[in-house]
Amino acid sequence: MAADSIGGITDEHPGEHVDEHDAHADFLRKPVSSNRPRELVLIICFILLVLLFSVTAVVSRLYHRKIHTLADQWYAQGDAAFHAGDAKTAIIDYRNALGYSPNNSVFQLHLAQALVSAARFEEARSYLVNLLAESPGSGEINLELARISSRQRAWLDAVRYYHSAIYGVWDADPLVQRWNVRKELCQFLLDRGDAAGAQPEVLALAQEVPSGKRQKEAAALLLRTGLWTRALQDFQAILKQSRGDQDALVGAAIASYQLNKYAQALDYFERLHRSAALDQNAEGMLQTSRQVEMADPFRRGLSAAERATRAAAALAQATSRVSDCSRQHGEAISQTPPVTDLQMLYATAQGMSKDWTEANLARHPDRIDAALSLAFQMEDAAAQQCGEPQNGTDRILWLLDRSRQGAAQ
Amino acid sequence: MSDPVSQIAQPPQIPQAEVTPAPVASEPTQPLGRIRSIWRFWTREIFTGSEDRLFLFLAILIGVFSGLAVVCFRVAIEWTQFAVLGSTLAPTVPRVFLAPAIAGLGIAFLVMKIFPQSRGSGVNQTKAAVYVLNGYISFKTVIGKFIVCALAIGSGQSLGPEDPSLQIGAGIASAIGRSLKLSQKKIRLIAPVGAAAGLAAAFNAPISAVVFVIEEVIGTWSAGVLGAIVLAAVSSVVTMRYFLGPESLFRVPPIQIAHPAEFIAYAVLGLAGGAISLIFLKWIAYARPRIQKLPRWSKYVQPAAAGLLIGLIGIRLPQVMGAGYSVIDEALHGQFAWHLLLLLAVVKLLTTGISFLSGTPGGMFAPALFIGAMLGGSVGAMEHHFFPRLTVTIGTFALVGMGTFFAGFLRVPITSIFMVIELSGNYSAALPVMVSSLIAYFISHRFQAVPLFDMLTRQDGLILPSIEERREQVSLVVEDAMQPETAIVAAPSDTLVVLAARLGENAQGPILLRARVGEWRLLDPAEVRGLASDPLNTHTAGGIPSKGPLPMIFPDEALEEVLRWAGDWPVLPVVNRGDLGKLEGVLALADILHAFRKAAAE
Repeated sequence: MAADSIGGITDEHPGEHVDEHDAHADFLRKPVSSNRPRELVLIICFILLVLLFSVTAVVSRLYHRKIHTLADQWYAQGDAAFHAGDAKTAIIDYRNALGYSPNNSVFQLHLAQALVSAARFEEARSYLVNLLAESPGSGEINLELARISSRQRAWLDAVRYYHSAIYGVWDADPLVQRWNVRKELCQFLLDRGDAAGAQPEVLALAQEVPSGKRQKEAAALLLRTGLWTRALQDFQAILKQSRGDQDALVGAAIASYQLNKYAQALDYFERLHRSAALDQNAEGMLQTSRQVEMADPFRRGLSAAERATRAAAALAQATSRVSDCSRQHGEAISQTPPVTDLQMLYATAQGMSKDWTEANLARHPDRIDAALSLAFQMEDAAAQQCGEPQNGTDRILWLLDRSRQGAAQ
Repeated sequence: MSDPVSQIAQPPQIPQAEVTPAPVASEPTQPLGRIRSIWRFWTREIFTGSEDRLFLFLAILIGVFSGLAVVCFRVAIEWTQFAVLGSTLAPTVPRVFLAPAIAGLGIAFLVMKIFPQSRGSGVNQTKAAVYVLNGYISFKTVIGKFIVCALAIGSGQSLGPEDPSLQIGAGIASAIGRSLKLSQKKIRLIAPVGAAAGLAAAFNAPISAVVFVIEEVIGTWSAGVLGAIVLAAVSSVVTMRYFLGPESLFRVPPIQIAHPAEFIAYAVLGLAGGAISLIFLKWIAYARPRIQKLPRWSKYVQPAAAGLLIGLIGIRLPQVMGAGYSVIDEALHGQFAWHLLLLLAVVKLLTTGISFLSGTPGGMFAPALFIGAMLGGSVGAMEHHFFPRLTVTIGTFALVGMGTFFAGFLRVPITSIFMVIELSGNYSAALPVMVSSLIAYFISHRFQAVPLFDMLTRQDGLILPSIEERREQVSLVVEDAMQPETAIVAAPSDTLVVLAARLGENAQGPILLRARVGEWRLLDPAEVRGLASDPLNTHTAGGIPSKGPLPMIFPDEALEEVLRWAGDWPVLPVVNRGDLGKLEGVLALADILHAFRKAAAE
């Protein structure tokens, strides 16, 4: 009895002591024929059930159709607004679409993207985190989270999400998508000034270039990362394919310049169209390359007299630089006996000055190398004592020295 | 087998050929005959077996019916919303302003003229039907609830579809039970079965629905009805999911607890939830009787006035209109700033109160969840603001807030815990929601003695059993009443002389004979004394007449259960469950009555 009572109330009304056993027995005592009405009711119930089932099926199908139509309509409107740059309207439309299809991950992702565009990062993040919980390997979701993290200056999270995106699942064109994400990661790291962190990523990027077009982008990133040799190789490879590629020429010129290959840099710069506009940095490089070439006594095709002139000028410049540098340090350059490097080099230069006059050098070209070697030593010593020369002929001479050293290596 | 009852009850009485259809290939009517045989077999199985078997079968049938009805109900609400407010989440101002008010007029007419029984949320009406009307809920009420609630919720009244679904399910069950001419007892039991089915389908959460119906409607974990309720709830959810898909009402973000200190944050949420739920309860308790006292004509305009107010609010905050599942979903995903969340919680409380007090039929579940989610989110966001190291997401707070407010407002703490677990599908949510729900529950309980649904029925002049009061009643056990040292225990080999000596001259206490392990009998002290006085007597205790065997009772048994035997025997042996030969004490009717009186006095 207790098992069939509700809250202590049973069907035993006052004065009506119905034992459960008796009730059960009463029920059992009903002859089989008395079940006929129940059978009939049951049949009617089944008929009603079938009818209601059919009605519900029709109703729910119509409902789902309506819901899907509305969801698609709002989504399409949202997409149109988003592509028109109206993120605010897009968010409302996407939200409406999601109202009808709350579990649609495409809608959620697009809404998150629209929220990111509207700089509503926290809202976007919550959608994306939810999506990520459902599909942690999704490249697209990880990428969006990486973008949000980078904008919110959560650097470690950003790198983590970028890596998850790189190694994540992409539905269409996964190689290209991964390459693009890695490129974005490289740019993110370089924008942060983390060139060291970017180097392995850029190298991996250059290693996996999916198409020729992308090679230029990879080479540009190699250039930004300071991987000059690899960048030059890549730009040269591009130039083999397309000799007149202006971007590749600039890139190759910059890489050559950074590798102290001024003649090569000048060559690339000069192959550019006249109309090609260079940025200030590249323009400076071009000018410096020209100056280095103008001052370079080792340039091919120079006459002996010209070579001697350049060498004598370099020697004079270096002597002057050493002298100035010594003065800056409050030291007498012509102290006897010479003690410091600068004094010793200056003394050597003074000692050889009669032999290494322009005329003597023109007459004895074999002395040019020794004279220039001393000039470079003096520039080196002065650079160590007084810092690298920032401009003028001293800088040209110093760059020339670097170039020579690079060539020798 | 001569008993006619047994004869009818035995299925083997049916000829075997009919029970198990033997297919005969040459029989031209074989398929029809086979179907008929199967039908007969099953109808006999169902109808001629015990009524319990039929009841379980009906539970499934009711579940399917309720599931279908709830699908139609939800679709009706959505379609009403499309028609009245349009398809966007932010409807145009004229629609927001006018739709609830105009619909309110229609609702008032329907409630006053055609479906007067469809008033209220549906929970206390179902409870009243169970306890007062012997489980009777008219089918007209079901139809009325369906139409009026669809119109109310679809037009933006701040109410939910769960409680009406509960009543719709209960009404369907009651109608089926009556049609099948079930016994009165079963009809009374069948309404909660339908209620669980309706709620489960509306909530897409069968466990929570079962727990709620047990916690709020039935009040006891009765094994007899539990099976049927579970069957009905599961079958209704399966039916609903077949048509509307398995997705829960809102998508719940992942939850994890990083540090035990986070429970302090949940405790704060519990305090806030308890306070807000208490304010809401007090407001309804204060305002409802006063509004009910207003002239009858005003009832025709109350829903429209409520609609007008809600429309005005909805122009600025359309989120508070209707059930608000999508807004809960957004809150769970941290889509709102804390001040908006708090504003939504307060305004939703206001609009829900207005809708409910105006007499508009509709449920309190969805609004309670809404207020809880917003409150939880805002508390979480504020805590994040002051303690940025807190790792819990705002969505988690919103989820726990739902359970917290639910426990405080509806006073169903167990349902709220199960609900959060079921919605999140994550047991990590259990502990936070336990902490905050219980705090909210105790605050609400401390300052508002009567829970919401009981309060509503009492305001309507009905005194229904309060589950909460019953939960707090101390149930007495045998141990509380037994007397440990008043009986003499005799072994069968004890001589009567020795026994009489132990009995003493004046002692009248019973003598319990341990006949063998697990069998206790009663010896008459006067007889023992008389036989022992005969010098030629060589009898032992086992050799003289005794009464019994006595029913054995155990110290942990409920005192109410023992009452049935107490009058038949002067004392009952209370024995150890591990050693049936070991007497722990004795229990007499007087002891039981004394224990009950003592407990009542305390």
